[in-house]
Amino acid sequence: MLSLYGTSAIFLFALPLAIGLFYYVAPLQIGARGTALPRLGQVGMALWVAGATALYATFLFTPSEAGVNPLPPLSEVAFLSNNGVDAWATATGLATLGFVLLSINLLATLRVMRAPGMAWRRVPVFAWAATVSSWLMIVVGSVLLAALTMLMIDRNYDGIFFADGSGGAPLLWQHLSWIFYTGAYMLILIFAFGAIAEIASTFARKPLFNRNVVMGSLAAIAVIGTLAWMQNMLTAPIGVGWMYFAMLMSLALIVPFGLVLFNLIATLAGGTLRMRAPLLFAMGAIFAIGIGLAAELCHSLVAAAWQLKNTTDATAATHFALIGGSVFGGFAALHYWFPKMTGRTMGESLARISFWTILVGLLLGFVPLFFAGAGEGQVVDAYKYFDDTGVTGYNVVASIGVLILFVGILLTILNAIFSRENGPEAGHDPWGGDTLEWFTLSPPDPHNFDVLPDVRSPRPLRDIREAIGHRTRRSKDAAARESQPVA
Amino acid sequence: MAPHSPGTDQIDTLLWIGFVAAAILMIAITGALLYVARRYRSERGAEPRQLFSGSGLQFRVAGVLTIFAALLFILGVVFTDNAREKPTTGEAGLASLKGEPLKIKATGQQWLWRYDYPNGAFSYYQLVVPVDTAVELEVVSTDVVHTWNVEELARKADAVPGKTNKVLFSTGDEGTYEGDSATLSGQAYAAMRTEVKVVSPEEYEDFIETQSEEIDAAEERVVGLIENGETP
Repeated sequence: MLSLYGTSAIFLFALPLAIGLFYYVAPLQIGARGTALPRLGQVGMALWVAGATALYATFLFTPSEAGVNPLPPLSEVAFLSNNGVDAWATATGLATLGFVLLSINLLATLRVMRAPGMAWRRVPVFAWAATVSSWLMIVVGSVLLAALTMLMIDRNYDGIFFADGSGGAPLLWQHLSWIFYTGAYMLILIFAFGAIAEIASTFARKPLFNRNVVMGSLAAIAVIGTLAWMQNMLTAPIGVGWMYFAMLMSLALIVPFGLVLFNLIATLAGGTLRMRAPLLFAMGAIFAIGIGLAAELCHSLVAAAWQLKNTTDATAATHFALIGGSVFGGFAALHYWFPKMTGRTMGESLARISFWTILVGLLLGFVPLFFAGAGEGQVVDAYKYFDDTGVTGYNVVASIGVLILFVGILLTILNAIFSRENGPEAGHDPWGGDTLEWFTLSPPDPHNFDVLPDVRSPRPLRDIREAIGHRTRRSKDAAARESQPVA
Repeated sequence: MAPHSPGTDQIDTLLWIGFVAAAILMIAITGALLYVARRYRSERGAEPRQLFSGSGLQFRVAGVLTIFAALLFILGVVFTDNAREKPTTGEAGLASLKGEPLKIKATGQQWLWRYDYPNGAFSYYQLVVPVDTAVELEVVSTDVVHTWNVEELARKADAVPGKTNKVLFSTGDEGTYEGDSATLSGQAYAAMRTEVKVVSPEEYEDFIETQSEEIDAAEERVVGLIENGETP
């Protein structure tokens, strides 16, 4: 169970939601008539489904007992001799290979199939986030695949990659796996920021406060964030110089993260905000990611991490950031692009109820864990806690909160299922969007676009609307002149 | 948790610096968000000004953030270095060491902590150390990765097979400190707890002496039994 929760949350919820939306929306945003390597995409999708099936098939025999990140030697055959860890490695391996193939296809599409006039400087922010994320997934996904292969060789063919002595090292796994997990964390946030940027600018009816800075920051987050992988290893026997390097990289992230958050909020400021579901979820995402990232800051100060490492404070910080990114951010994107996928908008009142339920669940579920972790030092992954450690109250509240959070998530999923058939008709552009995906039908034809406008700015649809408005005004003026009495 | 050693004092201060920095950011972000959400609701037919910023403002924001991050980095390095400083044995501590730290080996094994003292004595679960004495704990593992964690006295340290992780601490407060393990190590991981008992140097000497005698006696008894052909 322990291993399944985290694995499902990352490999079966957050990453597929992010990559799936990238995969659907980004080609539309750049005016592509399909993807560059459709068969590769098909294979990727099939591999991911196979991985997901394999993961849950372990319920039929033995699930892995080594945790979300199965550290060797615990995950070696000497300590867990049943095939749970093998099944886990197979499942995550298949899913990751799927993600990597999908990313290759997406990246090829973004490079070669952009509409005429769509230079990189005019690519929508969400499509840019897809580009950065694809690169990131290709790099860190390959690293995880290498690590999983080594683990499988260790377990099944007497390998020594992660054995101490004889040339192997248990710490090698930690380095490789944390590169992947840190990269995946950044990918989820980059996805959320990309979606929020689109939503903020559409619902405030303003351009992004500074496009280039946001796009540059997203790329910087991918690079610097992944370089901070050793932030997760500050209590391991590594040199203190490496610890300072990890701290430097983690703290350097304050600049790009801060710039993105500043620009997102500044985009909203001065706008005319329509508080519909996508914007509500997007603002929830900014809030939760902000809390989560600020709390992560304490974990990058080396000596502070010596105390906070593996406490529920870390659990809470990570959950705030990632629930902010994948649940709030992902659902914001879902509500925003749902009309494009189905031709119908999602039920607004149920969306509101779901939003507030998730928010209450998140606060109740994880704020107590900050106190239990930082105040009382409660450690993670323990199946029980002891009476004298003073964490009972916190844990009771947290359990109730997580249950509420789950109900909230379920409400949005139900909303999506019902709205597919019964939601109000949306038309091709329900929100007044500025990017090319709103130019085509909802849902789009198999070839996406019949015609494409020339792209002359990052907001091609706004250009069209302005041109039409201009022409209408001019013809009205002309008509008014003609109807003037001559004498 | 209240710190009880010079090292954890430093850790605690850095923790508070981190909390304050995090709180500033949380309040800034949440405050700005709430203000924007209240202030800029839509009005029918209103078209907002198409404002966007040039690079000047962005540079200023980036500058402030850089200073903030740099300040935190410097504080992080300073307090981490302080926390790593070698403690010294004081007047009330174990005199026989002549300035050297008291070396004890802490071995993590599924699911118990074992402590080996310099005179060959060992103990399980409970570590006994003299007060006001620099202790150098060599944290090692015989099987999987464990994390030695007694928050009030010292930093967390991973016990990784094939590596030695050194933890230095000293404390002026006698008493018993609870601890546990902080890395998933298998089924009985949650129950893999430990305890550090800080006593006067005399009591410590007595403890390791008795412990060593009892271990020898037990060994002799078992060896005797085996020599007589009985099963121990």
